[in-house]
Amino acid sequence: MKPYRKLIALSIGILAATVFTASAADSPVKGGTLVYLEQQSHTNLYPPAGGFYPNGGILNQITDKLTYQNPKTLEIEPWLAESWQVNDDATEYTFKLRSGVTFSDGTPVDAAAVAKNFDTFGLGNKGLKQPISEVVNNYERSEVIDPLTVKFHFKKPSPGFLQGTSVIGSGIVSLSTLALPFEQLGDATKIVGSGPFVVSQETIGKSLDLKAREDYNWGPAKLDHQGRAYLDEIKYVITGEDGVRIGALLAGQADFIRQIQAYDEQQVEGQGFTLYAPGTRGVNNSIVFRADNPLVSDVKVRKALSLAVNRDEIISTLFSKNYPKATSILSSAALGYVPQTDKLGYDPEKAKALLDEAGYKVGADGVREKDGQKLVLTSYASLPQPQSQAVLQLIAQQWGKIGVTFNVLAGDAGTKIVDELDPQKTPVAVAMVGRADPDVVKSQYYPTLRNVLLQKGGTSDKVQTFADEKLNAILDEIASQPDREKRLKAVGEAQAYVLDQAYAVPIFEEPQAFAGAAYVKGIAFEAVGRPSFYSTWLDK
Amino acid sequence: MTRYVAGRIGQAVLVLWAAFTLSFIILQAMPGDAVLIKFLNPEFGLSADQIREIRQAYAIDSGVLVQYAHTFANFLQGDFGYSMQAGVPVSVQLATNLPPTLRLAALGFGAAVVLAVFIAFLSSIAPFAWLRNLVQSLPSLFISVPVFWLAIMLIQIFSFRLKLVSVINPGPWESLILPVATLSVPIAAPLAQILIRNIDEIRTRPFVGVARAKGAGELHLLWRHVARNALLPTLTIAGVLFGELLAGAVVTETVFGLNGIGGLTEKAVSNQDLSVLQAVVVISAAAFVTINLAVDLAYPFLDPRLRTRNGA
Amino acid sequence: MTSVDILIAVDHAAGRSAPKGDRRNLSGRILTFPFGLALAWLVLATVLLWAVAPQLFTAYDPLEGMPGGQLKAPSAAHILGTDSLGRDLFARIVHGAVHSLSGAVAAVGVGLVVGTALGLLAGSVRGRVDAVLMRFVDVLLSIPTLLLSLSIIIILGFGTLNAAIAVGATAIAGFARLMRSEVVRVRNAEFVEAAFGSGGTFGKVLWRHILPNSLTSVVAYTAVQFGWAILQISTLGFLGYGAPPPTPEWGLLIAEGRNYLATAWWLTAAPGLIVVAVVLSANRISQSIGRAAR
Repeated sequence: MKPYRKLIALSIGILAATVFTASAADSPVKGGTLVYLEQQSHTNLYPPAGGFYPNGGILNQITDKLTYQNPKTLEIEPWLAESWQVNDDATEYTFKLRSGVTFSDGTPVDAAAVAKNFDTFGLGNKGLKQPISEVVNNYERSEVIDPLTVKFHFKKPSPGFLQGTSVIGSGIVSLSTLALPFEQLGDATKIVGSGPFVVSQETIGKSLDLKAREDYNWGPAKLDHQGRAYLDEIKYVITGEDGVRIGALLAGQADFIRQIQAYDEQQVEGQGFTLYAPGTRGVNNSIVFRADNPLVSDVKVRKALSLAVNRDEIISTLFSKNYPKATSILSSAALGYVPQTDKLGYDPEKAKALLDEAGYKVGADGVREKDGQKLVLTSYASLPQPQSQAVLQLIAQQWGKIGVTFNVLAGDAGTKIVDELDPQKTPVAVAMVGRADPDVVKSQYYPTLRNVLLQKGGTSDKVQTFADEKLNAILDEIASQPDREKRLKAVGEAQAYVLDQAYAVPIFEEPQAFAGAAYVKGIAFEAVGRPSFYSTWLDK
Repeated sequence: MTRYVAGRIGQAVLVLWAAFTLSFIILQAMPGDAVLIKFLNPEFGLSADQIREIRQAYAIDSGVLVQYAHTFANFLQGDFGYSMQAGVPVSVQLATNLPPTLRLAALGFGAAVVLAVFIAFLSSIAPFAWLRNLVQSLPSLFISVPVFWLAIMLIQIFSFRLKLVSVINPGPWESLILPVATLSVPIAAPLAQILIRNIDEIRTRPFVGVARAKGAGELHLLWRHVARNALLPTLTIAGVLFGELLAGAVVTETVFGLNGIGGLTEKAVSNQDLSVLQAVVVISAAAFVTINLAVDLAYPFLDPRLRTRNGA
Repeated sequence: MTSVDILIAVDHAAGRSAPKGDRRNLSGRILTFPFGLALAWLVLATVLLWAVAPQLFTAYDPLEGMPGGQLKAPSAAHILGTDSLGRDLFARIVHGAVHSLSGAVAAVGVGLVVGTALGLLAGSVRGRVDAVLMRFVDVLLSIPTLLLSLSIIIILGFGTLNAAIAVGATAIAGFARLMRSEVVRVRNAEFVEAAFGSGGTFGKVLWRHILPNSLTSVVAYTAVQFGWAILQISTLGFLGYGAPPPTPEWGLLIAEGRNYLATAWWLTAAPGLIVVAVVLSANRISQSIGRAAR
């Protein structure tokens, strides 16, 4: 770990810490409305859909979780669950719930409700089209022991489950919410949670008003702030235009905004606004290769392409110090991170040599080809990732120098989704996922999960043959090895293996960038960078 | 006359049905579908089997003709279906999004009329020739500005730099100032051109000279004649406005972050949310057809010259 | 936004409200603004030169940027500054001319050819064919233009040419209506009746008399449509349905530049002003053609 990166990891920690100490010292002011500008409207508020940031940003305010992951230490702390027990092989989890907690409709948050939540998240509900949560692995059933004690049984060890209960996708909602079919969960007013805020009004696709719950008294046990939220209201306004969001903040029309790009950072800080860039502690912003496509099926070609990517140039041109250079497929703040700098060099000469070796010779037009097949790669940019379009264009320039053409496609959402499932059409893709548990590695690469490498057996039926059983075995190990040491070892193996095979070219550690007015105090972020406004107050 | 009216109404219904059918064909020809777009989002982590099940649950894969008959029957009963992306019935989305767009449209049109009249009179009575020329070329300029660019510039200048109006969380009327201004500029242009043309024509007529000789104010004279002559073209424009308005609304609502039919359409297109798009097409086609029908039927009453040759 | 329909409506309305003879009665305005017209031709000529020989105007590469030189304000070296990848904005505008202009030409071409053919057929044959064709045109008009364009692009795929086709498709209705009304007008004129009377076949009369006499307004309308097509294509680019990056198409330049408004306003302002200037010039020239025709 380079010193300055340590500093950033540290400063984010300090940020989170100072937030709470500062609020304790300044004695927070109650009341007021926070105007929060969000880039995209939410799509669905079924809690496991909370991985999508706009969904998670709302769910984080209106639902509570069983446990709280301290964003500084990554330790799991009590929240709705006062205590818990895990058996040795991580197949049984018993949670003792806090008493007196109610959903906003008045029904109790008891063992039965929690059991129903995880039965749904772990097994899905076909009748209501509610899918399985990606953070719950190997789930078998629940058991209500007494009104405040619930036990979960797993078919195989599920070491990631405890952390899984703390993430955004595991927010507890009322039985009435879970009784609705999936498609109706897009209506925020129908989502009943036990969180510090309640949805009071929604204009779909435009705005959302949250009101503080007066009787809220069950925040994470170890937080300084207890009792109801300081703010009276939060007004979410969907503002898709980057220029409008940032302009509105600078002009004092908004208090807090999500998604501010690196090029506006100076502008924001120069005018006295505060920048927040919590890391996402998961799989780094990367480009991945779909080895099913013959153009990138040769590991030499993939290695050459990886060597030709100049991370320093990308970061210095497009980003800032809040976007540290990637040193592995995992973020340096992630659990189980092992630096892989030796596998992530920049060496265009060696890249050319590797391509020569692989049989791709420079053709008359400067583009390499083999048996008449030109080395022309294509990819779509990823809208939620920062400046993805520009990053890909820069990579295209860098690959152009070693004789590889890289076309960045444009397409509507529908075409893009269909093409992204076809390795012939998109041999290259942009990938990133945040979650502060090693299970995140499995989520990203496993064929039945996000399957970014497009292995056979996943969501795509366009894949011909490609599957890497060795990789999948390591990923299985990560998700089901109860022994912590062995599990972390598997995480290290996965990082080395993915880069040895050059399946992925990690580029930078992606933060979630927010900006707020100076008077907005006490903003906290969960471990993956979603804001929590529970302790937020306005100093004006 | 009754036969003529009945015939026109019959034609209107036919056009409406054809618009429904044509748009259905176009929408069906799109690649991908709303279920895929929504559920293939890796955040849901669904397997191929699960997606297949969801598709079956939504009966997406039934035959095109069956779907057509089904959709058509539902539309006849006023059932617009369910928005796959937003997870609410289309009728709910329309109920929230139609009124703001209509309000924006009405105000935008009203502002355009005022602006056009102002330009037309100024171009005729302004003191200096160069000023008159300048004003006369304004409509050409208005028509040449990309609406989205104008919107961006107006926000930057009036809201963010000068801080005159707020675009985020504004009052109900404040929120309309810049969007109405944006929308009215391109509509005002053709209106102003017609008015200028009318004024030019009238000024060359002999009675103007006579009236002037009698001491009548020229402004008053122009006003009386131009107002009468401009009524018809204004009405006609109102008739074709609606379809066009949607295009303006898409851009205006996107830039200003307003909710409305335009923004709804844009999102529905990119998510291929077919039921929403089908409803948007049918509503705007219905509006287009109705307004044009009304204008056509009203013409003979407003313009005596046309009363003798129906439907010219 | 102001498109075919409104302009057609203007024509239509003018035709309805004013007796035909008065159309020539527009004296006094022909002499206005010779400077403006000259300027308009100058703008168009410059832009055409950009499209033909961009390297004469700029030495910078429109696609390859200089890392480290990103988001520079306008200066002597970069008269319009640089974008986020360090590409010279002026170079991108100059090299983008060919994309924007050819797109507009293709779009107008589609509208002109298909629309004129439809209108000619409807106006010449009359009767049932006329009714069917014109109802078809009504249907085209009743579907919101932008929705139609976007759907066509989604079906055909993204690209400069496909965007042009999509815009052209929405221009068909306007051309068809105009052509039909012109044909009907000419057809009823005495000299055409005379041509029929002196034993001319339908095809011959159509070719010798109706077509040439209908074309003048069509030409003026085409020039307006050219400007309109540039606007439409750039609107598609703005909504993310235009040419794929890094193509320096003007609409795309504005669309990309708008993300940098807080930091680099010139990235949006400059290409926007170019579009305004070109469209304004096209409209100006159209007006002069229209007046000359009258």
